[in-house]
Amino acid sequence: MSHDQATTSPRRSATYHDLPAVKQPVWTWEVPVYFYVGGAAGAAATIGAVLQVLDGDDSERLVQRCRNIAAAGTLVGSGLLISDLGRPERFLNMLRVFKPSSPLNMGSWILVTASGLSAGAALLSRSRGVFRRLGSLAGLGAGAIGLPLSGYTAVLLAGTAVPVWKESRRSMPLLFVASATGAACSLLEMGDFDERELKAVRRLGTVAQLSELALAQAVEKESARVPGVGRPYEEGISGTLWRTSTGLTVGSLVVDTVTGKSRPGRVGAALLGTLGSIALRFSLWLAGRASARDPHATFDSQRMADD
Amino acid sequence: MATGFFTDTTVCIGCKACEVACKQWNQLPDDGFSFTGTSYDNTGDLGASTWRHVAFIERPVPLTGQTTGLGDLSWLMMSDVCKHCVKAGCLEACPTGSIIRTEFDSVFVQPDICNGCGYCVSACPFGVIDRRPDDGRAWKCTLCYDRQREGMTPACAQACPTESIMFGELEDLKQRARSRVEELHDRGMGEAYLYGADASEQPGTQGLNAFFLLVDEPEVYNLPPAPSAPVNHISESWRSLALGAIALLAATAASVLSSKGGR
Repeated sequence: MSHDQATTSPRRSATYHDLPAVKQPVWTWEVPVYFYVGGAAGAAATIGAVLQVLDGDDSERLVQRCRNIAAAGTLVGSGLLISDLGRPERFLNMLRVFKPSSPLNMGSWILVTASGLSAGAALLSRSRGVFRRLGSLAGLGAGAIGLPLSGYTAVLLAGTAVPVWKESRRSMPLLFVASATGAACSLLEMGDFDERELKAVRRLGTVAQLSELALAQAVEKESARVPGVGRPYEEGISGTLWRTSTGLTVGSLVVDTVTGKSRPGRVGAALLGTLGSIALRFSLWLAGRASARDPHATFDSQRMADD
Repeated sequence: MATGFFTDTTVCIGCKACEVACKQWNQLPDDGFSFTGTSYDNTGDLGASTWRHVAFIERPVPLTGQTTGLGDLSWLMMSDVCKHCVKAGCLEACPTGSIIRTEFDSVFVQPDICNGCGYCVSACPFGVIDRRPDDGRAWKCTLCYDRQREGMTPACAQACPTESIMFGELEDLKQRARSRVEELHDRGMGEAYLYGADASEQPGTQGLNAFFLLVDEPEVYNLPPAPSAPVNHISESWRSLALGAIALLAATAASVLSSKGGR
């Protein structure tokens, strides 16, 4: 029997030889990497589209960079997801149905649409005439689909029987959008743009990272509504990564505030922000695996959930 | 015609004939020959290559009608299986439409369509379905779809020597199950109850087409107390995502416009 039995709440649910009650997610490292890459691509597509509408040709280089990030991110992300399949050669089966009850099916449609539109936008933005206008249209479309792309992966996690994911189902999508936006801004800040463009990106990045920090707290709090379910955010490798992510994001904010006016300072802040965002996704993935292994979390979340 | 299993755990003798018959008929690979040390259970759990699993529970609690030479001890056995939920988490989550509901109301994974994404594995509230590493696809009990189409009884129910596993038409099974509970209550075994037989009693799954008669809390048998198909709570997350999307648009627009003003 486990050593923690005596230390926690008076009523510990019975278990079957302490064996897990649900299966561990079978996903490998490609999936948390995709969460980062796909999220950043979605947010970048949206930022590009907003700039395109509000700024016109004034921010041409920044819009181009947004489109490039979106196109590269969706391409790499698709590759990561396909390689994670048990039967990669059958990846197109994802598109043989349209199934709103399945977040993974919806995500596949979102990703494939975003891939096409952002690739079109990126490739056509240097052309002239009608192709250029087509590129702009594709950029707007990519921006629209980039909105769900930036955070649907949180819905994907929430739509499982894994207790720690299921219990933070309201706050996690917000955290994913904020973190994706911060990640996209970090990638953009690494480039060299004029002062006004950088100002906009840095402002958005700061707002996103502050939101990310607050929402990480919200996720922790939401999952802790059922005692013990939030434990993977405190313990083990997932807990260490969770704290590391917070530290890196705080570091990014501090470095950006202090030295953000200089290029090296900006790049340093952007690197910290990027690492923080990646650490967050790996933490969430590992937290899910740990949570699925804990039968008490599974049973207690069903016995004690307030809804 | 809706068919299913009624597994009466009070008559299970732990012979594992169901496990063997299932493996043999469905030509499932072995799970390794490891020793778990947990009673007589060396299988552990249901999975991609284990579609029937006999659980062994040794409790320091007496059971009405059971006498042992060891004082306050009772031994419970249960043959576990895919529940073929009326509202199935795996089926709702499957992105390819590989998992379908058959003409027998059972939940079936079409092996020629499954692309091994693994989402059903995390979506099953019972931890039943899993991905086979050598094969890459998800597998679970088919309720012997092939045998049923030929009018045959599923292999496990056919092999069960004590009729602990009963196969039949669902309404019929439920009636037999209820009268069995009454019978046990009359004999003084007040603990006996049905798990998953009614939609009202298990709203998250809207009832199970493979339900059980148990004599202790579900957790004791590694069954979840209030399982729910994850799709039931997904709309809250989509709503949050919509909110996040609005916030992203607003924050981006505000950042771009405010930086313009500073020019």
